[in-house]
Amino acid sequence: MAFTRFLTASQTAPIRRTTTESPAIRRLFIGMALLFLTLFLFFPLAAVFYEALRKGLGVYFAAIVDPDALAAIRLTLLCAAIAVPLNMVFGVAAAWAIAKFEFVGKSVLITLIDLPFAVSPVIAGLIYVLMFGAQGWLGPWLVAHDIKIIFAMPGIVLATVFVTFPFIARELIPLMQEQGVEEEEAALVMGASGWQTFWRITLPNIKWGLLYGVVLCTARAMGEFGAVSVVSGHIRGLTNTLPLQVEILYNEYNFAAAFAVASLLTLLAVVMLAIKSVIEWQTRKARLAALAIRGEPE
Amino acid sequence: MSITIHSLSKRFGSFTALDRVELEIPKGELVALLGPSGCGKTTLLRIIAGLESADEGNILFDGEDTSARHVRDRNVGFVFQHYALFQHMSVFENIAFGLRVRPRARRPSEEQIRAKVQELLSLVQLEWLAGRYPSQLSGGQRQRIALARALAVEPQVLLLDEPFGALDTKVRKELRRWLRRLHDELHITSVFVTHDQEEALEVADRIVVMNHGRVEQIGSPQQVYDAPATPFVYQFLGHINLFHGRAHSGWVRLGGLRIQAPEYQNTESMPAIAYVRPHDIDLLREPEDSDTTISATVVRVSSLGSLVRLELLQDSDGESTEVEMTRERYAADPLQAGDQVFVKPRYLRVFLNDDPKRTPPVHWNGDGDGI
Repeated sequence: MAFTRFLTASQTAPIRRTTTESPAIRRLFIGMALLFLTLFLFFPLAAVFYEALRKGLGVYFAAIVDPDALAAIRLTLLCAAIAVPLNMVFGVAAAWAIAKFEFVGKSVLITLIDLPFAVSPVIAGLIYVLMFGAQGWLGPWLVAHDIKIIFAMPGIVLATVFVTFPFIARELIPLMQEQGVEEEEAALVMGASGWQTFWRITLPNIKWGLLYGVVLCTARAMGEFGAVSVVSGHIRGLTNTLPLQVEILYNEYNFAAAFAVASLLTLLAVVMLAIKSVIEWQTRKARLAALAIRGEPE
Repeated sequence: MSITIHSLSKRFGSFTALDRVELEIPKGELVALLGPSGCGKTTLLRIIAGLESADEGNILFDGEDTSARHVRDRNVGFVFQHYALFQHMSVFENIAFGLRVRPRARRPSEEQIRAKVQELLSLVQLEWLAGRYPSQLSGGQRQRIALARALAVEPQVLLLDEPFGALDTKVRKELRRWLRRLHDELHITSVFVTHDQEEALEVADRIVVMNHGRVEQIGSPQQVYDAPATPFVYQFLGHINLFHGRAHSGWVRLGGLRIQAPEYQNTESMPAIAYVRPHDIDLLREPEDSDTTISATVVRVSSLGSLVRLELLQDSDGESTEVEMTRERYAADPLQAGDQVFVKPRYLRVFLNDDPKRTPPVHWNGDGDGI
């Protein structure tokens, strides 16, 4: 009897999960998040493209093919092309050392890697001016040897490298720590050299994490304003990167051109975001496979 | 290849992982390093492989000191507990790895590599998995592939670190029998680490029992099980019952038991502990003689497949005693919880409490069948 009653009770009562909130509360929270994103992210982004195209496609393309704008695009891409590979090498080396070895001063190194996140980019720029500027420590020597760092491309690259340094290392350290050293040990026992182990075992294992770090690093390298602004000197057609070019155009009340260049920068960021999403999806797949192989639940 | 380990010590900070270990592993034998976690067995294995270095002492392969030889030049095969298969490579490429990374002069041709991998895959009976990736294999298959990969470089020594530790019971049993058969085919000097005494007893030619970084006993499975050298070995291999008592002028008194012990002739009232295996005990309904039996009460009877285990409490001091017997023997006189019985150890060994390292003498009590 009791059993039948139990059955009917469970059939008539609505099934409710005991671990989730009620639909109304869930809708409220999702709605709030959406509203916030719309106001603070979507509208401003849409505004950039709206402003850029307001005076028609002709004005838009004229602004982009302007020699100064083209020079800024070239400089931005070039700086990213130098800074990102440098940070790739530094980042992999630092993450490798931290994740796979025990040494004195390891925690100091980890803190130093985080320093660029903590320091204001303007300060980062000023450090280089203090060191390499005409009145800086190495200034006279550089002038004597006719080497230009500040108000020239080397300074911009240095500032970019500094600001974007943590992205790749930070991405790789937890990944490499989680992977441990067993696969590398297995390779060594089978007679592989250190280089062979790195290229054939370590690098393939971290490739998605590394790519993710590279994408973040590239996006930041192209968008960096503060540090670059201090060291660049704002010479049109020479030392202006895309973000600096946007600022100059805007200050000159050339809104259409400013937004056109800004939309270009935004497009680059959106492309990077798309690549990042694909990589995240791939990393998740690789991670699930790695978990399955160790027989652990997710 | 034979391995000689001479006075090997290793410390991690203040923790002594290995303390002057002496060990001789003859050519072609399958040896188990057995001990509880933290006893130093894995550290010893890793030092043999060259993945760790010792603080003192040395390791000789065929009489030749290997201390200065890099891990990649030692020509050992190593199997990890968690397989350590290369996840981004197919099974075929995993096995071929050791051959592909050789310097060009010693590297086999592509056909030779292919033939070698096929040969190893058929050795581990997994030919059809060549194109799969490690994540697509079961745990048992992964470990067999890991073994094939270790064998690809034709190592002179095979080292296995808890090779079956991550597998479930059924697969583990299959795989250890398979490992034994494989070893009988290949006769490669092998050392495997385990904390599972059953595994060591079943698979190994010789067992090295370790505790606190020291070797407690080296011997065949039968030797270490039937004639444990130290109380630790007694406790670690199989279940035991302890009887506390005193040794005095050639006699040992344990509760109601009195046993002759001539080698303690000159011992003056020393604390002693007797070790008895649960299957070395007879249970009687009537007291035989007040000096050879201890009265006890049955507390619990549980069936363990082919065996029946009885838990008893001694009437004198409330100490608990475990007895195991075959089903047939239990059926002849099915005791129940609450029954009064008399415990008669057939075979026991007494260790004096002051010197636990001392090799104990063997005692026979009555006419039991003992070993």
